[in-house]
Amino acid sequence: MPVSGQRDVFAYTPSIIVLQATAAQAAHRMDEPELIRAAQRGDQRAFEQLVRLYDQNVLRLALNLLRSPEDANDIYQEAFLRVYKNLHSFRFDCSFHTWLYRIVTNLCLDALRKRRVRREENTVVETSEGFLDRMDTVEEARADGNPQRQLMSRQLGKKIKEVLTGLTPRERAVFEMRHYQGLRLRTIGDMLGTSEEAAKNCLFRATQKMRAALGDFV
Amino acid sequence: MKCEEVKKTLPLFLYGELSFDEEERLEVHIDECASCRGVLERERAMFKALDSAEVAPAQDFLDQCRAELRGRLARAAPERNKFWDKILRGFSIQFHFAPGIMQPLGAVAMLAIGFFAARVAPTSLLGSWRSAGVLAEPATSRVRYVEPAGPGRVQIVIDETRQRTLSGNVDDQSIQRLLLTAAKDPSDAGLRVESVDLLKSKPQSAEVRSALLYALQHDSNAGVRLKALDGLKDFANDPQTRQTLAQVLLRDDNPGVRTQVIDLLIQHRSDSMVGVLQELMVKEDNGYIRMRCQRALHDMNASVETY
Repeated sequence: MPVSGQRDVFAYTPSIIVLQATAAQAAHRMDEPELIRAAQRGDQRAFEQLVRLYDQNVLRLALNLLRSPEDANDIYQEAFLRVYKNLHSFRFDCSFHTWLYRIVTNLCLDALRKRRVRREENTVVETSEGFLDRMDTVEEARADGNPQRQLMSRQLGKKIKEVLTGLTPRERAVFEMRHYQGLRLRTIGDMLGTSEEAAKNCLFRATQKMRAALGDFV
Repeated sequence: MKCEEVKKTLPLFLYGELSFDEEERLEVHIDECASCRGVLERERAMFKALDSAEVAPAQDFLDQCRAELRGRLARAAPERNKFWDKILRGFSIQFHFAPGIMQPLGAVAMLAIGFFAARVAPTSLLGSWRSAGVLAEPATSRVRYVEPAGPGRVQIVIDETRQRTLSGNVDDQSIQRLLLTAAKDPSDAGLRVESVDLLKSKPQSAEVRSALLYALQHDSNAGVRLKALDGLKDFANDPQTRQTLAQVLLRDDNPGVRTQVIDLLIQHRSDSMVGVLQELMVKEDNGYIRMRCQRALHDMNASVETY
């Protein structure tokens, strides 16, 4: 049985339980600043709650930016470990969301830059059952039973992926954060350590390239 | 405004990144210019196509990442937290640099700590420590009052609370009742998180589901609400659950909770949601939630706002 202070950060043995209320369990509060302060004091469960508030969107961003499940997982692990190790230095100068995304986007940009040096990783691998896209195994399945529409959507998806690969890491980051994460350009600028105007220019260039490449498809 | 400028500005218009004045000028131009209207439609079609290329991580993948992080954090925790580790490491470093001198000094220091601890610690504490082996369960105690009891003597009255440890299966009715009680304990959010986390695997029980709905709507702790929501995912089509989800989407003050709720509602969308989504567009300030809401309304051919 996990005991207070050594408790598993996320999971719990599903069927056998021991009920034990401890003082440490009472150290939780409802709002984010208190959660952060509790986590800074070493409260593991407060840290878990912080992670849970943001981790799905972090993984979504990394997966969309890098289009590789392994790389997205690496970013996810490294980002939250950095948060865990450096949370004591978080001084509420900006929102926690901005601070976290600054870490995540920096890691993603580094990964994209490294990838540009080597060759772009292909997510399609050959298996005994034919070609398999590794992204299919980690992506939420979409409910669409129409085979023709599926084919069109696959071709379009392939084309979009090609265009995304052709963007610079910063253009790609800004595009993903604006289009898929719905973040405002000013926030994106803060996260990337640049101005709103620079983020706007990046987005403009990205959409221009998209338009040029997808003109025949839409 | 000229056509070239309009074409350049269209993406920012669609992303809602133009100022009020810029947007006004662009709309005036588009009303009058058929060519730019066509370009806007193509731009919208491209945005829709790009929407379809978004990758959302599957729950299994997310769970796998969380499990790995759990392991890594468990390994990282001792490095960050263990005070005694640091003390002991301090000793070992000194031994390493000057083993001949420091080892006997270290041994003397440890003996001194033991000696003073024994002298300074109250015998009552040591007594209760000794008796801990005899007691079946640990106890917490508090001195209620003290009063003199003759020369040199004192009488102390202590309140003692004994803990009982119960083990059992979550399916067990008596265990479930305790969990349901613990899930509403207003004094301990941590206990509520743990209890709801365990109960969420049993949403088939009407009593558990009702507790999860209550926690999602009323618990003051966002972590508890998220766990409750997690337990209700398979019941997203149930009318009572949907009604609660809609209320939470409109009223919860935590964007993390609202994000999860809108994702769930859109996954199980129905036309009856239109009014809720339109109301949400009026009051929601979170970019991601607004975007999801806007897309869902577009997909349902509903107007984005009520007028």
